[in-house]
Amino acid sequence: MPSPASIRAVLLVAMLCATAAAQAHDESKYPDMTAQWVRAHQRSQWDPSKPRGLQQQAPLTPEYQAIFEQNLAALRASTHDVDPQVRCLPSGMPRMMIAYEPLEVIVTARTTYVRVDHLSETRRIYTDGRDWPAQVKPSFEGYSIGKWIDEDGDGKYDVLEVETRHLKGPRFFDADGLPMHQNNRTVITERIYLDPKKPDLLHAQITTIDDALTRPWTVTRDYNRERKPLWPEYLCNEANHHVIIGKDRYFKSADGLLMPIRKDQPPPDLRYFNQAR
Amino acid sequence: MRYARSIGLIAFAAALSTMLSGAQAIDDQSKYPNLKGQWHRASPNRWESGGVKAPLTGEYRAVYEANLKAMADGAPGDMASWYCLPQGMPMMMSLYDPMEIIVTPETTYMLISHVNDSYRRIYTDGRDWPAEGDYELTFAGYSIGKWVDEDGDGKYDVLEVETRHFKGPRVYDGTGLPLHHDNKTVIKERIYIDKANPNLLNDDMTVIDNALTRPWSVTKKARRDSRARPMWQTSVCAENNSMVKIGKDPYYVSQDGYLMPVKKGQAPPDLRFFTQSPK
Repeated sequence: MPSPASIRAVLLVAMLCATAAAQAHDESKYPDMTAQWVRAHQRSQWDPSKPRGLQQQAPLTPEYQAIFEQNLAALRASTHDVDPQVRCLPSGMPRMMIAYEPLEVIVTARTTYVRVDHLSETRRIYTDGRDWPAQVKPSFEGYSIGKWIDEDGDGKYDVLEVETRHLKGPRFFDADGLPMHQNNRTVITERIYLDPKKPDLLHAQITTIDDALTRPWTVTRDYNRERKPLWPEYLCNEANHHVIIGKDRYFKSADGLLMPIRKDQPPPDLRYFNQAR
Repeated sequence: MRYARSIGLIAFAAALSTMLSGAQAIDDQSKYPNLKGQWHRASPNRWESGGVKAPLTGEYRAVYEANLKAMADGAPGDMASWYCLPQGMPMMMSLYDPMEIIVTPETTYMLISHVNDSYRRIYTDGRDWPAEGDYELTFAGYSIGKWVDEDGDGKYDVLEVETRHFKGPRVYDGTGLPLHHDNKTVIKERIYIDKANPNLLNDDMTVIDNALTRPWSVTKKARRDSRARPMWQTSVCAENNSMVKIGKDPYYVSQDGYLMPVKKGQAPPDLRFFTQSPK
């Protein structure tokens, strides 16, 4: 029969081993989010639970509701260029979280990266405990600070809470010209987490606070994990058939020739050419 | 005696604990070199420098000269990045904007904020080359890497990488020094922290390409930014790019928004689809 001292020693062995394991497996504190995520919603309007356009029922101020309606009319008539994506400009936040192309989440202790192939955007969400820096150059994706939360107290993080500021524009919620305020003072808060029942389903609950809105607007977007990802390059400038010359937009035909985008659109001004074709 | 046996067990416990934590920590970041931070270019961005000449075949020396002439005339030659397309490998490793390296056991990522957010994904999970259809040709290529502990101290020193499956056109640098248009390039790299300077990164690159008469090796260097929290900026190419391509021809868009020729005597674009005459 082992002596009590031996039992205590064996218990100590077990305890020390458990401590060592806990320290070494720091990675296990984080949810398994490092993966390719494909948007779960077929359509790409900002609030996936509602139809596109005016039926989004965005809580816009009257001023920005009028801008939205003008944008919708312009898109229908192709009278002017609304969506910055036709110039291959990034979607920025929060629109990039629509994930037109798959997004990649890379979790490290100090930073969580969200890489979006569409228009090649990368978010760095700093989780190293930093405060807002004194000076930040505004960007389309903004400056993001995050905090991992263990909500159920099981010693593992469940939710990444993020706040994003310091944005620049032009930015829209979606391709229908649903506008954000031109002052770019947007603040976006997010809760990003794996579905408790489906580990291959990621949720991003995104709340936008913007002067174009009468109240914070919360939308939840979902993403499915791709276990065998392919990572093509999405090259906007390679596939882009829009040509912007001054304030006018034209189309490039399959054989590369310049085309009007609407009936009777005049061709570009050729004043700098001294030779006829 | 009883105490002696307990002391023995405790000593064993301590030894086992050390072994376990050590062994498990090896699977942790401590096994990898510290590549964190922001890396800036610390060597010439031109590949032909210091008297070194690219061992180009006669055919591709002529392509290079044609690119030089095209660029002198204002045209892009083989420089896809003029149209905001990625520089691709190996030019992207000249770091026209800073680079961040993220090391995970399965993949090492290289994020470079130039021509939008370019990036490389170097798989270190022991995979073999993918079968046809399991990859797409890209400017950055498909990279498989292997961490090597060269001095046997239990820590990795060198990331050996091989990159294949490219698309193009790609050039080595801003002079238009070309890679073969067949895009069958193979690039081998040894990436490691300088032994004498932990803030200097070396990338020994060897390019095997049908435009070359032999493999061509050049070392690119990067210096770590001393700031603990450097700022990262996305270079948005489309924001300031005034080049447009219509058909096969490049044109400029002037500051005042008019189409311009890039070279003297250049013809305007074909406007056959317009019903009105140009202004």
